[in-house]
Amino acid sequence: MSEIILCNKPFSANALDASCGLNTDDLTGFGDANPSTLRPYLPYLYGQNLTATDKSILCQMTPLPVSRELTNMSLSFGADNTLALAEISAKLQEYNIGMMGTSTAFYAGRIEGFGGAVKSYQSALLEYRDAVKNKPALKAAAKQKARAAFNRMQQGFRTEMSIVNARARALSRRGTPLTNPTRGLNIARSSRNIAKLNITSQVQASNLVKFGKQAKFFGNGLAVIDFGSRIGSIHNSYQSGGNWERDMFIESSSFAASAGAGILTINAGLALLLVATPAGWVGLVLGGIAIAGTAAVTSIGVNHYIKESFGEVYDDIMNWIRSW
Amino acid sequence: MVKIEYIMLASSMGALFISLILFVIFGQTTVRKLRKNPETKDDLGIEFASGWDILNVAGALALPRWLNRKFRKSRLASLCANAEVLDKHTNTFDRILAIIFIGLFYFSTGTLILLMILDKFGVFD
Repeated sequence: MSEIILCNKPFSANALDASCGLNTDDLTGFGDANPSTLRPYLPYLYGQNLTATDKSILCQMTPLPVSRELTNMSLSFGADNTLALAEISAKLQEYNIGMMGTSTAFYAGRIEGFGGAVKSYQSALLEYRDAVKNKPALKAAAKQKARAAFNRMQQGFRTEMSIVNARARALSRRGTPLTNPTRGLNIARSSRNIAKLNITSQVQASNLVKFGKQAKFFGNGLAVIDFGSRIGSIHNSYQSGGNWERDMFIESSSFAASAGAGILTINAGLALLLVATPAGWVGLVLGGIAIAGTAAVTSIGVNHYIKESFGEVYDDIMNWIRSW
Repeated sequence: MVKIEYIMLASSMGALFISLILFVIFGQTTVRKLRKNPETKDDLGIEFASGWDILNVAGALALPRWLNRKFRKSRLASLCANAEVLDKHTNTFDRILAIIFIGLFYFSTGTLILLMILDKFGVFD
């Protein structure tokens, strides 16, 4: 596990020891083995005997736009929730093959909307935090705004939030900023300046970085993004000394299979629409949503199925080749 | 894994592999020719993603005529490629390639979806 320390204002060695009992000797920054002062919005590794994985995680999180976003997010939502959010948004991006074609607008809009709602809740909390510290007159208005942003997020993205909440419940009984706006407001008011992220894997780190970037995905970019994440998982397996050829076989097969299944579903649905309904473009809009949903479900299902069962075929092929 | 599941899975993935190679070949020969032809380039159907017109053309060439005629009657006909126009500008080789490609592609992906559904219902457990 890698422990990452993030702060939003400079910390001297003494202040760090006084506020959270951390020793600067145990901290490593990127290109800065023994920092005397912590710089704001720069990730630091905590601990001795750092592994290559720790360093590569640190390196991924160092670019300023990413680390600033992650710092703000960890301070306003809490570190565990930031990890949970990053994971959820990575899950949402798995739908991307289903997003090809008719479904593009539908699901891309959803991911963007979800990220946007979380972000606006976050910025409302940060604004409240600023008001508490500097502009007491605006406190009530900022509080109202944060609650409104919380409600928008809850109403618009019930499914996504229920996944976040299921994870968050396991973490804390008091609730989290994502389940309870009062808790969010309290955390914002308490004005913490330093946060610790416990990252357990490379995958988690890359999810975090992606979430920090809040990238937008459209059209053909989707297939590219999806393939990128698959290459990432092959590379992880390669780095950790796993059977990466086997993983490559499975990842590329499941990519082809799930894309194919999505295409078939879309085409079959459209053919049905062409033959069976007298409706014109209105039918397409309504039918298109149904088709998009079905295609997404189908391609996700096939993706999982192939990932589960295709390893066995690979092993057989390899055994067959070896027996020659 | 049950033997029948194994055979279905391996054969459909094999068929998918071949069909994707044919996808590229068909795109580079037939569809490339049609894209350049001013008489056909507006009749290749809608491209949901880049390269989707290859699927449209292959579908139009491979499906039976009566089904194509039925598609034409719909108000959404512009979504798929116009088989009547394409017929005039393609030869038997294009048709055969389209039939093999679409046949393999629909067979393999259809089998995969079937397998996934059967697996979900626990038929192979």
